[in-house]
Amino acid sequence: MKEIPNLDELLNSFIDGELAPRQHTEVQRLVAHDEKIARRLDELQQCKMFLSSLPVVEAPPRILENVKASLARRTLLGEEPSAFDEQIGARHLLGRKLFAAAAMLGLVGILAAVVYSIVAPTVPRGPIAAGRRDMPATVDLAESAPVTVVAAPFSGRLELQTSTLPAVVGFINRAIEENIPSDEWVASDQSKSREPHSLICSGESFNLLLARLDDIWDKLDSATLFVDTEVFGRKVIVEAVTAEQVAGIVNQVDSTRRIEVARDFAVLNNISEHLPGREILAAIDNTTVDLITPPKPVLTEDTKKFIPGTDAVKNIHLTIAVTDNQ
Amino acid sequence: MTEVANINIDDAVLVRQCWQGDSAAIERLILKYQNRIYNVILKICADPDDAAELTQDTFVKIIENIDNFQGRSGFYTWAFRIAVNLTLNYCRRNTRLGFSSLDAEQIRENSQPGKVLKELLSNESSLDPASVAQDKEVCQIVLESLKKLDDAQRAVVVLRDIEGMNYNQIANVLDIELGTVRSRLSRGRKKLRQILEAILQ
Repeated sequence: MKEIPNLDELLNSFIDGELAPRQHTEVQRLVAHDEKIARRLDELQQCKMFLSSLPVVEAPPRILENVKASLARRTLLGEEPSAFDEQIGARHLLGRKLFAAAAMLGLVGILAAVVYSIVAPTVPRGPIAAGRRDMPATVDLAESAPVTVVAAPFSGRLELQTSTLPAVVGFINRAIEENIPSDEWVASDQSKSREPHSLICSGESFNLLLARLDDIWDKLDSATLFVDTEVFGRKVIVEAVTAEQVAGIVNQVDSTRRIEVARDFAVLNNISEHLPGREILAAIDNTTVDLITPPKPVLTEDTKKFIPGTDAVKNIHLTIAVTDNQ
Repeated sequence: MTEVANINIDDAVLVRQCWQGDSAAIERLILKYQNRIYNVILKICADPDDAAELTQDTFVKIIENIDNFQGRSGFYTWAFRIAVNLTLNYCRRNTRLGFSSLDAEQIRENSQPGKVLKELLSNESSLDPASVAQDKEVCQIVLESLKKLDDAQRAVVVLRDIEGMNYNQIANVLDIELGTVRSRLSRGRKKLRQILEAILQ
């Protein structure tokens, strides 16, 4: 007999029905004509029959339960998530996500309210805002109904430092001349424009002055307000004070409230001045500091305040001193 | 296998339900395939306890990876690929599969199953292989002879002759060429017969 390569493979494929029809016919012809090949085919068929007739054993009864338990155990151990629990788990997870989102929103809301109460945007109220371009003072007056009172006397000192002394002093002098009646202010030496100005003026005049001074506040290197207390020699010092804060302090109706507000501003300005990153940014670029500096705190409550033109009592005693920072 | 007959839902439908997190669909897949997978694993690893554990591991792995099942091959071949791979890896690690338990002397002394097998393999036998295979002791000899095949050959023989897969399915499950399936099957059956004949000499 001619040796046929891969005869066993051919016969096995024949047994398994894996031959093309032409090959199948060829093997049938070979088997019919060759007894040895036919015997080999029988042996292979016998082997196949033997294996395929082995009894089928049923799987142990608790496979399903064990699979569930195994998945649950893995889930508990923080391994792969259990698909059995996926449906319930998905709902639970969704609920937790929603709850977390709601809690987060609530937290953000509370935080925003707190931040807003501290660094609220400038609300154009009162005379300080009179010079503001975005909202005239008359609008503010129309929307609020302040109580008109005669404020307690205020006594204090405003110390300003600037590196552009002549310009600032000139501006202040002009502002005083324009807004404070000549009988309400005195300089220690009127011939020397850089000497401190002592003002004894009404709330109306003072607010007009502050509104004007607000325009040059950005040219100041520092501004410190010393508020006299009822205790002799004790002052509340508000550093880095803004014109608006000065107005907020001065416009309080009684000295106790005035001192409280001054102390609050002192603390908040101090925090604001020492915010992390401020120095780093300043070191990188001095000009960019103001861009990211949070606004100074202002009074946002509807406090009793002066109404321009209604209070002519000269009860504000303020000394304005401007010094050269160079 | 009765449960299989009762579950006629298409695999693709069940898989889609599994993707949607339907645990009942997962249970149906397990019930549908547990006996077949267990049998294949048992025939490859030859230890009922190990086979049960490997079957369980197979389904855990199937469930964990069901989302990654792309559907390029059928679920059936994909599931068996996982089962066979787990089992073959287990066999490679486990030295207990040296089949030392198969003692030729003992088989010769246990004359009855040996005689039946010998007669069956003698070519002149009129015995029906299917009925002989139902004998528990004969079955044990065959199973242990099967275990003497190397892993690759045993897997192909089991998938073809016990699970009844066609060559393409075997190639898919084992990720091998069709020609490799043919050659391994041919060598496996040949060697199995030689082993049985050697035992019964």
